[in-house]
Amino acid sequence: MTTTSEKLLNIENLVLHFKTSGGSVQAVDGVDFELGTNRAVVILGESGCGKTSLSKALLRLLPRNVDKYSGKVFLQNQDVMLLNDEEYRQNVRWVGISLVPQAAMNALNPVLKVGDQVAEPAMIHLGLSKAEAYGLVYKMFQHVGVPADFVARYPFELSGGMRQRVALAMALVTSPSLIVLDEPTSALDLLTQANIMNVLKRIKHELGTSFILITHDIATSSELADEVAIMYAGQIVENGDAKDFFPAPLHPYSQMLMASVPRLRSDSDPMFITGQPPSLMNPPAGCRFAARCPFRFEKCSQEPPVFQKGNRKVKCWLYQ
Amino acid sequence: MSVTTHTPSEKLAIRRTSANNTFFRVARYVGVRLLTLFITVVIGIYLTIMIANMGGYVDEIIKNQIRDSVTQSVAASPNAQQMDPEVRKKLIADRIALEEKRRGLDTPIAVRNARYLVNALQLDLGRAINLTSDAGSKQVRLIILERLPATLLLMGTSQLFLFFSSVFIALTLSRSYGSFWDKLVIALSPTSAVPPWFYGIFLILIFAAGLRVLPFGGMVDSPPPPNTFDYAVSVLKHLMLPGLSLVLSSFFLSVYNYRTFFLIYSSEDYVEMAKAKGLPTRDVERTYILRPTLPNIITNFSLLIIGLWTGALFTETVFLWPGLGRTLFQAIGLYDVPIIVGSTIIYAYMLALTVFILDFVYALVDPRVKIGE
Repeated sequence: MTTTSEKLLNIENLVLHFKTSGGSVQAVDGVDFELGTNRAVVILGESGCGKTSLSKALLRLLPRNVDKYSGKVFLQNQDVMLLNDEEYRQNVRWVGISLVPQAAMNALNPVLKVGDQVAEPAMIHLGLSKAEAYGLVYKMFQHVGVPADFVARYPFELSGGMRQRVALAMALVTSPSLIVLDEPTSALDLLTQANIMNVLKRIKHELGTSFILITHDIATSSELADEVAIMYAGQIVENGDAKDFFPAPLHPYSQMLMASVPRLRSDSDPMFITGQPPSLMNPPAGCRFAARCPFRFEKCSQEPPVFQKGNRKVKCWLYQ
Repeated sequence: MSVTTHTPSEKLAIRRTSANNTFFRVARYVGVRLLTLFITVVIGIYLTIMIANMGGYVDEIIKNQIRDSVTQSVAASPNAQQMDPEVRKKLIADRIALEEKRRGLDTPIAVRNARYLVNALQLDLGRAINLTSDAGSKQVRLIILERLPATLLLMGTSQLFLFFSSVFIALTLSRSYGSFWDKLVIALSPTSAVPPWFYGIFLILIFAAGLRVLPFGGMVDSPPPPNTFDYAVSVLKHLMLPGLSLVLSSFFLSVYNYRTFFLIYSSEDYVEMAKAKGLPTRDVERTYILRPTLPNIITNFSLLIIGLWTGALFTETVFLWPGLGRTLFQAIGLYDVPIIVGSTIIYAYMLALTVFILDFVYALVDPRVKIGE
């Protein structure tokens, strides 16, 4: 394993809890992971497992009902959790990390031309004039495959796929070292999905950007992933190299998640996991997956530590 | 993704036809819109005429008034006392008929209403029955024009202050949802259930009767100060209490209203995206919250501006403010139909015009709105 100093991003014990009338929702509960330069990690998990909350915690896009928000987030060796809001805005937002949101449909201001919206971060963070920023906009539009004359269009005049590309161009315009993509393709048809994934691959290759891709679409994401992190009930249960992960996942949840993907040219029916994910309000003590796990034994009533297994980390007593 | 390509001449032709289409579309829209608005105004004014006349019952009241005054004046005249009762009765009947004819009460109400409607639509507002302007005219137009400046001064200052302060404060509050000030405004918003004239009475009690620092009512000291500066100071002092009561009675609800409005719009995805992009708060608020909500804000503002027209009936009355509201209040009490209708006609025309203009303003501020589609 490489040391912290060589990593682009290093998250240690990130916690984000929300206050609700029923109690504290532990949406992100002690997440650790690392990411190197020009690498892509895919964060996989069911709906409601805390994937989007993880991206919010990472980008400090907090809702009003935050109960607990703590941990360390080292971005290029600087703990950005220590910055105040104004420092964070100036030094991290779109300079260090940018975002391609879940619903690009609504992520663009309906009354501003898309060119202006893409140019905005470049003008603010890079101090460019509007004309210079537009130069970058045209370049980015070319990268993501949007015709140049679309700069003068309004979001409602674009198709869903085009809007997603514009959102991607917007994320790229300041050349950040890391882009968080929150289900960038989930609202799109299969052909457009494939197109966007190809654009992402090309950008990673050409611009050397790192990606955190948050999705539940295992098949599409496997094309881009260098690393995989499996999230379950607010925690990362398995994290490691994608090449090793996809053929042989370690954690029982990962195995069942992978088995639930329908396969072409195979007689085996897709599997499903019985039961429900635990409530994040009162997660069970010990392993959070224990109730649904076919391999559970006495040890599982205690919280499993993270075990190193080859170049993968797994949070399961089976690998003690 | 495929992009259709056209030769330059094709492009020009396309542009020309689309420009033509736009012209016809807008022209057709303007025609239809003006016609429907005019019909609405006609119906509205006709209904006002009917209501102000109480469907003809006001005629009965006026006829009785005429009978009363004629009988009394005849009874009071020394000549009539020596008359034969039959002759006196005939004299009374003749004078009543003459007076009714003079007032036009001999023609049927339906005919009079129709004639009245046509005149009203041409802004020929006619003559008041009982009220006169301070200059002594019975022309409705002159009465309204005389009272307008006082109303515009009172309503203009208070409503503009109310509008801008509540939008600004609401925007600040929406930033700090759940804070002490936010909760305070919510807690105080029911104070707007109390009408402004009620606050007016309290303010008069405190500042005029109790502390004796501000005048009880009116618009200027009597006699009016001779030089302009003293005059302005005097008007300002008289303006304080009615203005304050108008602001006070709507302030918290108005702030609460806009704050909720901004809260809803500030939870849009694109606002969060703007924050993620690292835009300064000022830019986020201006370009991502105010800009998309501009059509709503402009609507509120323009309705507020034309709302100035009716004045504040009770507040002006409580403060003896010589404005349109108080005149209207008096006119209603005296069944002075021409003044009530005259004021309504002007309001109806202004409302129709505003609605018409707003359609174009929407198209200017919101690219999603296209005229006539």
